[in-house]
Amino acid sequence: MSAPVEVVLSADSAGQLFNCAVFDPHSGSEFLSYRGGNTSSRSLTVLNGEYILGAQLGKNFINVWEIQRKDQLQQKIVCPGIVTCLCASPDGLYVLAGIAEAIYLWEMSTGNLLAILSRHYQDVSCIRFTDDSSHFVSGGKDNLALIWNLSSVVQLDSSRTPEPCHILSRHSLPITDIHCGLMGPQARVATASLDQTVKVWEVSSGEMLLSVLFDVGIMSVTFDPCEYFLFCGGSDGNIFQVSLCSTSLSRDKTFQTDSDGNQVFKGHRNLVTCLSVSMDGTLLLSGSNDETVRMWDVQSKQCIWSINHKGHVTNAVIIPAPANMFLADSHPAVPLPRFSRHLNPSEQGDGTGSGGMCLRLGASTQHFGLKTTDFKPLKCNRQQKRTHFACF
Amino acid sequence: MKAKKQKRQGDFQKVQLKVGKKKPKADNATNVNFRSKAIHLPEQLKHVDSGPTKHRQLDIMDLLSKLHHINSNIKQGALVGLRELLSAQPSMIELHASAVLSEVAALFTDKDGSVRAAAVRLLRFITQCIPAERVVPFFPLLSAHLTCAMTHISEAIQEDALRVLDVLLEHYPGLLSQRHTVLLTNFLELISQKRKAATGQDKSGKGGFALTISTNRSVTAQQWRLTVLLRLGSFLQAVVEERPLDEGVTSSIGLGMWAGEKGSVTSVDVSWEEHVFGKGRIQVFENSGAVPTPHSAYRLRPDSKAGAGMNKELCSAETVQGFAGTLVPLLLEIWVEAAGGDHVQTDSGHLLSAEAMALMFQILTILQLLRRVSPHRDQKDILDAWFRNSYLADFKHHFMKNFPYGLLEVARHKKKADGKRIRQQVAAGTVAGGNVEPLALNVTLCQVMVTLSLRGQDHVEAEDADWLGTIRVFIRETLSNGGKLSSKHLAALLEVVWRMIVTQRSRVVTDDLLQAVYVQYQQRNLAVSVRSLLLCFFSQFYIQEHQNHPHIARSRILARWLASLPVQLVQLGSRNPQLSAQLLETIHPAAARGNKDLLQSLQKNACSIYDPQEGCVVVLPVESQKRLVQILHSLPAFPAELLACLSQVCNTGRVSASLATMLIRTIHLRSPLCGWSSSSQDVPVKDVDYLSFFFTTLTGFSSEMLQALQDTDEDSLLPSSILSPLSVFATTLEQFLHHWDIVEEVCHCLDTLGSRAQCFDVIQNAIIKNLCGLVVVPDCVCAAILRCVPRLLDVNFLPSDTLLHFLSDCCLSMLNLLLQLEQSAHKRDAVWEACFAALSTVPRLLRLVLQSFRVCDLCEEELPVLAQILSLLLQHTQLRNHMMANASLLQHIIQDLTHFYGGETREQWLTDLLYCYSVTLFGHRANMGMRDIY
Repeated sequence: MSAPVEVVLSADSAGQLFNCAVFDPHSGSEFLSYRGGNTSSRSLTVLNGEYILGAQLGKNFINVWEIQRKDQLQQKIVCPGIVTCLCASPDGLYVLAGIAEAIYLWEMSTGNLLAILSRHYQDVSCIRFTDDSSHFVSGGKDNLALIWNLSSVVQLDSSRTPEPCHILSRHSLPITDIHCGLMGPQARVATASLDQTVKVWEVSSGEMLLSVLFDVGIMSVTFDPCEYFLFCGGSDGNIFQVSLCSTSLSRDKTFQTDSDGNQVFKGHRNLVTCLSVSMDGTLLLSGSNDETVRMWDVQSKQCIWSINHKGHVTNAVIIPAPANMFLADSHPAVPLPRFSRHLNPSEQGDGTGSGGMCLRLGASTQHFGLKTTDFKPLKCNRQQKRTHFACF
Repeated sequence: MKAKKQKRQGDFQKVQLKVGKKKPKADNATNVNFRSKAIHLPEQLKHVDSGPTKHRQLDIMDLLSKLHHINSNIKQGALVGLRELLSAQPSMIELHASAVLSEVAALFTDKDGSVRAAAVRLLRFITQCIPAERVVPFFPLLSAHLTCAMTHISEAIQEDALRVLDVLLEHYPGLLSQRHTVLLTNFLELISQKRKAATGQDKSGKGGFALTISTNRSVTAQQWRLTVLLRLGSFLQAVVEERPLDEGVTSSIGLGMWAGEKGSVTSVDVSWEEHVFGKGRIQVFENSGAVPTPHSAYRLRPDSKAGAGMNKELCSAETVQGFAGTLVPLLLEIWVEAAGGDHVQTDSGHLLSAEAMALMFQILTILQLLRRVSPHRDQKDILDAWFRNSYLADFKHHFMKNFPYGLLEVARHKKKADGKRIRQQVAAGTVAGGNVEPLALNVTLCQVMVTLSLRGQDHVEAEDADWLGTIRVFIRETLSNGGKLSSKHLAALLEVVWRMIVTQRSRVVTDDLLQAVYVQYQQRNLAVSVRSLLLCFFSQFYIQEHQNHPHIARSRILARWLASLPVQLVQLGSRNPQLSAQLLETIHPAAARGNKDLLQSLQKNACSIYDPQEGCVVVLPVESQKRLVQILHSLPAFPAELLACLSQVCNTGRVSASLATMLIRTIHLRSPLCGWSSSSQDVPVKDVDYLSFFFTTLTGFSSEMLQALQDTDEDSLLPSSILSPLSVFATTLEQFLHHWDIVEEVCHCLDTLGSRAQCFDVIQNAIIKNLCGLVVVPDCVCAAILRCVPRLLDVNFLPSDTLLHFLSDCCLSMLNLLLQLEQSAHKRDAVWEACFAALSTVPRLLRLVLQSFRVCDLCEEELPVLAQILSLLLQHTQLRNHMMANASLLQHIIQDLTHFYGGETREQWLTDLLYCYSVTLFGHRANMGMRDIY
């Protein structure tokens, strides 16, 4: 059997059978499972296609597995507090964790703690990167969502604290989920909140584009890759599909009932906490507090399969299958460093711990970095990558 | 034969004329017995049916041609004539706009004063009639003539040019502000002249211009300068207001400084229901998708839009600097001269005459406007820094030396002597700037000076300390001396306070200034606008600056203010909903951010805010109610009495059902039983309280109310009988439906709790304990119980007998009620749904109900009712199987029924019942038979 293109990764709060498991998106059969502990919600992430990171529920450490060695817990990263959400950048260079009100940013190549961002007033509930890793969006229980520019956050400038580039403050209740669309800094971001709305924003300007008001609080949100549809998981177990582009261009459709596009996926009996769409936009994965994960066909809105878990589903996501996942004898290209627990600028400067050099943008380049815009993050990433190779 | 002849003669009879007789009239004679009268037409008939096209026999072309006449009286007459003609017939203005405007504009520079005055009058009239967008093509011409007049060698013409400017500024500020490059130099030249490079008197070294004094003006040099500066001020104002909107726009009133985010993209707002029913088509991508918004920080190429065009030049800091570099030394010089003149008269420098005060006010206004001209924030900072470097010393020396200025009382006799001059002032139009309050002057000075204090540079703090200290003292005293300030002055003062706190970064200063504002805030009987201004200041100050500046975050005054908000909300009640809404706008984000002071105070006042009788949550309008419910999300703890209040709020019907469901969901989410909130250290809602809240909300009546119901005997009470074991208290339709919606939500929440068996056990105990003993039960309670129990019942769980008996009583009473309900289909449906759900999910319940039909005890009138109930149950297909399980019991009842019914004729109800019974029974048998065959 050829290796699948995409896989489903899901975890629940009980962790009786496994911590997290990998399923076939088409049949729902289980491929692999990773054991040990359980994972809190929105804190399961795949790093660089080589590691799986999941924050332990209610504890202050992160479990790490090498993606091919499923039975063995590789490492535990101890953090300064309980991790409420976790996200690795798509390019695999950084890891972000929400720990209480603060966001911690680690560099993967050295394990250095680069920044502690405390701009939220309450627990951070969700963090997401844009697909080019240039920006990230964090949402908290203080009703705020913040858009950050990664390059301005990692700058080595102790005199000024990093500021978010935009503050999205139009939600009136805690933010439950965030989804970043494609297209890097030109992407659109959707935020879901308990105030019964889903709002769509532009990353580059921080402007709100759309606000949809529902009857129930919304616990999860996602786009399909083309951004034709917005899927919103309600707290009553329904999944609402909002079509973002009107298709009323053809004359024939005018007098038809408007049953296409705007529909509800019914089946869950409790909060829908996770949603994810496959890369071709035909399959929708949903995880719920009624302890099931369901796969839906977007076109027909039928449930294709469902898997019972033993506890509330905390994470369920469709990801492109990492190359190493099904090769038992593969090894990660880069060993995982020790994560430092403290901001230590002096150590970061010369990088004595790992014996390599660490390059970061200095304060002088900042003005430039803020003004030239689109291409700066790219440049920065390349710089970081060079660092990464220099270290090992 | 003869007869024939006679006849022929009759035809052509000759009339014999005789002398002395009148000649008979011929048949074709004309009757001339009429009189004619003349009709005078004073004017020609017109083809156009409105107004004259001529004025004194001159049409518009004649009048226009007369404007070139050499005689000024004729010119003036023609101008007056034009005005009268055009006002009689406004449609001609548009027709001849180009000709009229060009001719009139040419007269701006006429030698004769009366002609110019008439021209200005005509211009004023025309501008009133033509909107700005139609003048655009003629405007270059107008402004060229204006420039010509402003730079004219004759001073009288210069003066009148300012009047033209006034007219244009009033009506076409946008068009005029685009001509700033030319006009600004003109302004300069009105009061000064270019220094010759050769002359050695270049002592200031800054400006290339020197003030001019001409002796032959009708007004003094100072008054002349004041009039020019007034125009310059209003021109700059127009430039500031009319430029294309961009980020960080600050309006002149100062409140704009705190205005929240102002999106250039209008976002699409839809609600799910509208969307589903196809009313709201979402067009996100059409709305903003293809091109990123102008606010976007990412630009692939520089903007090349034509719209920004002209104004772009003035936006950059360099241009403003260039202009300011010339203007500011002049302004200083003007001030020095004016103040110098005053010093001669008085030795106390802080007292100014009204004239000097007006002059200074104008100078300060212009300085302020200069800073605002550049719209971008970063450019503003550059400009501030530049001003500071170039002019701080000058400003300090000239303006701050005698800082709090007062009005010099002009002695009586002096005024009399100057009567003539004052009259001239009136003529020159300086009265507008003539009466400036000292407070306005001082506040404006503060505003100007404070912008010079840079943010965040420690080394300059010491040198700024002296003059900033003076300003601080002034502000503190003005705010806290108990006087009432107008909202305009207050807004300016608050702007100064804001800036000072942000730039100075010291806790002492912060507390000092905030204390003063707080004193003002605490005054009683403030006007609503002032009160809301202060509120707005505090709340924006808290929300925007709180996080960035630790010295603000630690401010005690701010904490005290926040803590006082919930109390104010309670005290305000329903008296001023707008103010309450404003209070909530601060309370909500502060609570969401977990501000300790606010939360403590909120917790303390929670019971009065959420009081079901007169709390804010019931008396305020819907929007505020919604906010109050949302604030519950961040309340740290829910004690039992608060939950009791909230439960009553849900049920009294003073908040809408949708809001009540939102409230219930909030409580549900806050409880650890829900399993949403991951942090398990603090428990906002205890499990016991949670369940009792839900049970109370489910019943909708408190135990006292139920107890009170037992003793009343009202008309709405349906008496108990064998068929209705409970005496039913019929609630109003409205209350019933409201409660029905709430029950739905409660059931849904309880349904999603983890362990259903335990949950059901708790609810069962609660019902047995609180409801089973009752004799009188409201119908909505019955319906709620009947609806809730089957939804929560687990298959493996056996409900207790007491509960089942109570349920069967409820069910019977409801079925009985159902037959009496005619008025509302909605209520009927709801009641039937509840009964049906209960009977179909709990088979034992159906048996109990059937067992309780003791036919022998019934009186004759009740028999039809029983029969109707039975046929209702039999008719329902989904109940049929359960009915068949009790076939023997059913048969027994029907036998009894026919037996006890003594009537001779078979009534309709009996026929119906027997028909239903037979259909059910035999239909079932037939089914069984069919099944046997296969």
